[in-house]
Amino acid sequence: MGVIQGDQMVLNIGPQHPSTHGVLRLEVMTDGEIVSKITPHLGYLHRCFEKHSENVTYEQVIPYTDRCDYLASMNSNFGYVVAMEELMDIKVCERVEYVRVIMAELNRIASHLLGVGAYGLDVGAFTPFVHMLRDRERILDIFEYTCGARLLYNYMWVGGVSHDLPKDFKKICFKFLDYFEPKIDEYNQLLTYNKIFVERTADVGVLPADVAISYGVSGTNLRASGVKWDVRKEEPYSIYDRFNFDIPIGEAKFGTLGDCFDRYWVRILEMKESIKIVRQALKEIPEGDIFETMPKKIRPPKGSIYRRTESPRGDLGYYIESDGSPVPTRVKMRSPAFTALSCLDEISQGWMMSDVLCILGSLDIVLGEIDR
Amino acid sequence: MTIDFIINQFTEIIGNFPVAAFLVACASVGGLLFVLMALNAMVAVYVERKVSAFMMDRLGPMGQGPGLHAGKWGILQTFADAIKLLIKEDTIPKSADQILFKVAPFIIFIGAIIGLSALPFSSSIQAVDLNVGVFYIIAVGSIGVIGIVMAGWASNNKWSLYGAMRSAAQIISYEIPAGLSIIVPIMMSGTMNLQNLIEYQSGSIFGIFPNWIMFQNPFAFLAFFIFFISAVAETNRTPFDIPEAESELVAGWMTEYSGFRWAVFFLSEYANMFVVSGLAVAGFMGGWLSPIPGFLNSPVLGLFWFFGKVSFLIFVMMWFRWTFPRLRVDQLMYVCWKVFIPIAMLNIFGVGIWKLIFG
Amino acid sequence: MSKYFTNIYDTVNTLWTGMRITFRHMMNIKKDNVTLQYPEERWPRPERDIGFELEDYNVIRTRLHVDIDDCIGCFRCEKACPVDCIKIDTIKAGRGEDIPEVAHTGETSNGTKKGFVVSRFTIDMSECCYCNLCTYPCPEECIFMVGGPHSSKHPIDYEFSEVDRNDLIYQFAKKLTPKQRNDLQQPKEKAKA
Repeated sequence: MGVIQGDQMVLNIGPQHPSTHGVLRLEVMTDGEIVSKITPHLGYLHRCFEKHSENVTYEQVIPYTDRCDYLASMNSNFGYVVAMEELMDIKVCERVEYVRVIMAELNRIASHLLGVGAYGLDVGAFTPFVHMLRDRERILDIFEYTCGARLLYNYMWVGGVSHDLPKDFKKICFKFLDYFEPKIDEYNQLLTYNKIFVERTADVGVLPADVAISYGVSGTNLRASGVKWDVRKEEPYSIYDRFNFDIPIGEAKFGTLGDCFDRYWVRILEMKESIKIVRQALKEIPEGDIFETMPKKIRPPKGSIYRRTESPRGDLGYYIESDGSPVPTRVKMRSPAFTALSCLDEISQGWMMSDVLCILGSLDIVLGEIDR
Repeated sequence: MTIDFIINQFTEIIGNFPVAAFLVACASVGGLLFVLMALNAMVAVYVERKVSAFMMDRLGPMGQGPGLHAGKWGILQTFADAIKLLIKEDTIPKSADQILFKVAPFIIFIGAIIGLSALPFSSSIQAVDLNVGVFYIIAVGSIGVIGIVMAGWASNNKWSLYGAMRSAAQIISYEIPAGLSIIVPIMMSGTMNLQNLIEYQSGSIFGIFPNWIMFQNPFAFLAFFIFFISAVAETNRTPFDIPEAESELVAGWMTEYSGFRWAVFFLSEYANMFVVSGLAVAGFMGGWLSPIPGFLNSPVLGLFWFFGKVSFLIFVMMWFRWTFPRLRVDQLMYVCWKVFIPIAMLNIFGVGIWKLIFG
Repeated sequence: MSKYFTNIYDTVNTLWTGMRITFRHMMNIKKDNVTLQYPEERWPRPERDIGFELEDYNVIRTRLHVDIDDCIGCFRCEKACPVDCIKIDTIKAGRGEDIPEVAHTGETSNGTKKGFVVSRFTIDMSECCYCNLCTYPCPEECIFMVGGPHSSKHPIDYEFSEVDRNDLIYQFAKKLTPKQRNDLQQPKEKAKA
């Protein structure tokens, strides 16, 4: 006779919800449990970053870039500074390059810890979240020792960094890395291999590689679908080509390739790779003066540039247009979390309500970056 | 037993007024049970917060400093929370169903408190010594479902309705493995009377181990686990806390409740935990008998052993909550119908064969 | 069929491993505790060994403070602020001249001669984004964030919350009455005349 079809109802996962990573409104069309369409509504966190940057000078834009992706501020700064230095044709000194890489990779670990911990919280595991935050606090302590701030640093400046590393930095950083590496194994035992967690996340929200590429998804989400693409290896910037690290890709450990578990697993593996990079950088860092290549006045030549770097969310791009004055004409930030959110509708067709939140958590979005 | 005892004393001391005797006995015992429920909630909430904090490498409620603002080590924290809940504003959404909204918490409360009346706290302390004690507690445990569905419906909120529907499905499904598993002690001891069930477990195996039902038989051991996990599912605790999943449904079917009404829900959740743990202890772990067979058995010490074992099981429930993520609804149903029920039926079969062979 | 049983075995195994870890954390609470019990214990943490002292910090981000006697009125910090929370007004005065009526010293502690009287120097801390960009351009190092490396000039102060929002607008300049302000602007007109 045909399939019994219930009525469709519209359910609002509102701007205030414990599980959306920021203020996001999802309008879900569902028939009770199975979801048929999701429409995200954005703009609750829009703060006119791009308009502000048309009115302040180039070095004053950097605190604004911090606040876009607030969980990985060092990487947001890094992207802007790399683009500016290519526009102005500045080559920074070696010590500055090493310091920048160390800070960016430590921030990558911190961001992944929060992303993975919050994902555990969405699925219902309260304890791993708190443990991961505790370890993230140690990284923030290291940042506080160097530049005074814990979350929004304003650390990477055009042509250098704002403060040199303090005198005991190597010892403290090695102490932290030695403490942290066995903790990843503990998290694996507590959360990753837990059968309930695996059942919740394996085979759910599969993102096939061709769909990911057609949406423009990049970063961890793309690597989890099996595509080996990392901006640090494809278009190397700074001194990433000197380090020896792998690109982890999804391997269908417990389910199909590109499901939520793969995205989570790739983040855990990336933390291990970042630890490798930081260790190598700390061994090779030379002495030097960080202020020698910093320009006194920032007046880039007329022109424009688009440069992308690898932030923990994906492919972060900056388009900067200048006309010779100390104030930029246009700064546009290409946000990787925006493209990740746009593929939410496609990959959550046919799954249940609890799975929608699970899939949203696995994409690791930050609303500050999406809304700018 | 206690109600009969009080009625007898009343008749002896004051005279032959059966109705008055009955009312006085029921009121006093009911009052004592309510006090027990309140104390249990206070202690259990404090222990839960401390246990969850210690597992997360933090301290939990600690009161110190001038004025000791929550008691030393935060002991008075629950007391302060109770006062706060009592003086909160009573908000009822205008489009909610007024009568059902107000009645729902009390139905759940009633379901929890009358289960307490059949638990054997000691060899001479028990509110009512029913001949069908086990059956009564299992039956009364289902009253709570009506309250939950009423609460979810009356809130006039899609999220609450979600939580209520899931909870109804969950509780009704998990009653089956719980009921099938509790048949095992009944089969082995031949009685549904809780005091006789506990007396059957006195004595020892090989002279050193206590003769508890869960040690007598590998199938009984398995039945204890199945019963305990189904009991955790019946009380809506993680990993089965889909109805009140905090990160998905805000607070599920309790979303619209605040203040005193929410306190009643909270009280009944902890009372439910106590009742199912009490039944597990009485049925499988020897009730008020001491772990050293033959020694330290007395009406007063029995109270101590009973509460100790129940506290241990409640601690294990809290341990589960703070370690595991939660199951999805269809996985929950899969676990119940396709894993627990076959194992429970296998247990009954196995215990029967065991008794036939080994007597 | 065998997958059914391996599933059950895996479940019990992994769940038991997880439970062991949380139990171990619970038992080791005295050693592993990370809570700072404010307000009895204040930051910096007294007993947890994080390996570095507050005075060794490169920089610290707390509230701003201005040593107004050192300010020469060059407006560099006002231009450097990305959110425009610093507002300065100056009145021209004789170079290096002391004006005792308004407690204005002609020289800073570094020996630079001042040419302006700072009549208004307000910082709106509720708008400040703590980026520290205003402290670098100052030639006299008179604007700084308190504590840390500047503890000798001003002890650390991170508990500066107020009840009224207007109390967060810090005034650093010396208060001038309208008559004093008039008198200070007079010499210009006398010289013109």
